[in-house]
Amino acid sequence: MSPATEGAPNSGRSDSRHAALDSLMRAAQQGDRRAYHALLEEVALRMRRLVTARAPWLGQADVEDIVQDVLLSLHMARATWDPARPFMPWIAAIARNRLTDHARRYKRKQAFDAAASDLAEVFSTTPGQTHAEGVVNLISVRRAMSDLSPGERRAFEMVRLREMSLADAAERDNTTVGAIKVAVHRASRKLKRAINRDGEEGK
Amino acid sequence: MKTEALIDALARDAGPVRVLPPALWRVWGWLLIALSFAAAMVWAIGPRDDLADRLAEARFLFEQGAALATAIVGALAALKLTMPDAARVWRWLPAIPGAAWLGTLGLGCLRDWAQMGPAGLRITPDPECFVYIALIGSLPLLALILMLRKGAPLRPSWTLALAALAAAAIGSFALRLFHTQDAALMVLVWQVGAVALIAAIAALCGRSVLRWPGVAT
Repeated sequence: MSPATEGAPNSGRSDSRHAALDSLMRAAQQGDRRAYHALLEEVALRMRRLVTARAPWLGQADVEDIVQDVLLSLHMARATWDPARPFMPWIAAIARNRLTDHARRYKRKQAFDAAASDLAEVFSTTPGQTHAEGVVNLISVRRAMSDLSPGERRAFEMVRLREMSLADAAERDNTTVGAIKVAVHRASRKLKRAINRDGEEGK
Repeated sequence: MKTEALIDALARDAGPVRVLPPALWRVWGWLLIALSFAAAMVWAIGPRDDLADRLAEARFLFEQGAALATAIVGALAALKLTMPDAARVWRWLPAIPGAAWLGTLGLGCLRDWAQMGPAGLRITPDPECFVYIALIGSLPLLALILMLRKGAPLRPSWTLALAALAAAAIGSFALRLFHTQDAALMVLVWQVGAVALIAAIAALCGRSVLRWPGVAT
């Protein structure tokens, strides 16, 4: 296995992932097909999670269309990445661009843009961030979501992402408004911590 | 196609890639092509008789310098816009030399008016400016489009408009070397107008010339 693929995703902790993606892309540019395969898989995984979080109403086939377009675009543009610079802002700019292209096809674009900007606002502690950084933050949020307990995740998705009322969410989950409130609060706290952690890694 | 199959196919297809050189280097390469073509056209058509006199005039040099700067910064900005991690401010930077170009011609209008009165501000039809600018700008535009297609079509309309602005500014720069027309208002209307029109047409064609692969396009 080449040095680049040793740090492959899924094997390391999240704090080594940004650097791992950089080295995978560097190896891919030099013709390492295995590194490129691992990189594409990682980008697909992140994009799938991000898109599902941003547009929970999208069907699986539509989500895969977006994921595949991002992969094709990465492939087409791979000579434009300067190996001396970080990979994340580069892929986030491409992903944001493709998401915008796809958003034009859906009527619920605005509702979804609002949810996305709400998310960035709720979870980002970095002032004056760019939209691209927001997308990177969303990717971090999506990753952090997997650390929540099933109850917390469900409550958070219903109240914050789908904008259901506390009462509706409680009824759907067969529980009390108080319990939903606590679960959302706990989930927010965990996600904020995760964002802070990722933000510090990037520095 | 399943995403896994696409990943397999892309990875199989991927050989080593040559990382694109910085936009600043590539723009000099483009400028060499553009100016060589423009010089050949000026030579073929025949430079104006009073070129030596004009080249001794500060006003002419300022106007030509601003046109050339607009071409260079426009081409550089177009190339930058195809790099995903370039700063967004690039799309506006050609406005600086562009404003200088308009400014020198605007001052020229004032001076013409002061020297000749209303006669200095007469507008007569001069449509051949458009034809010459389009003709001289054609090869530089084609060369720039080929360079841009190696990048990422993130903002196709802006990118192509800036590319056309750069190419047409080269056309206008060359036109002044053989076309005996120095009335500032005439240059502003017919030459700068032609450049703006060409850039606007290019903006409309952006999405069909520069596009991503995939289902959304």
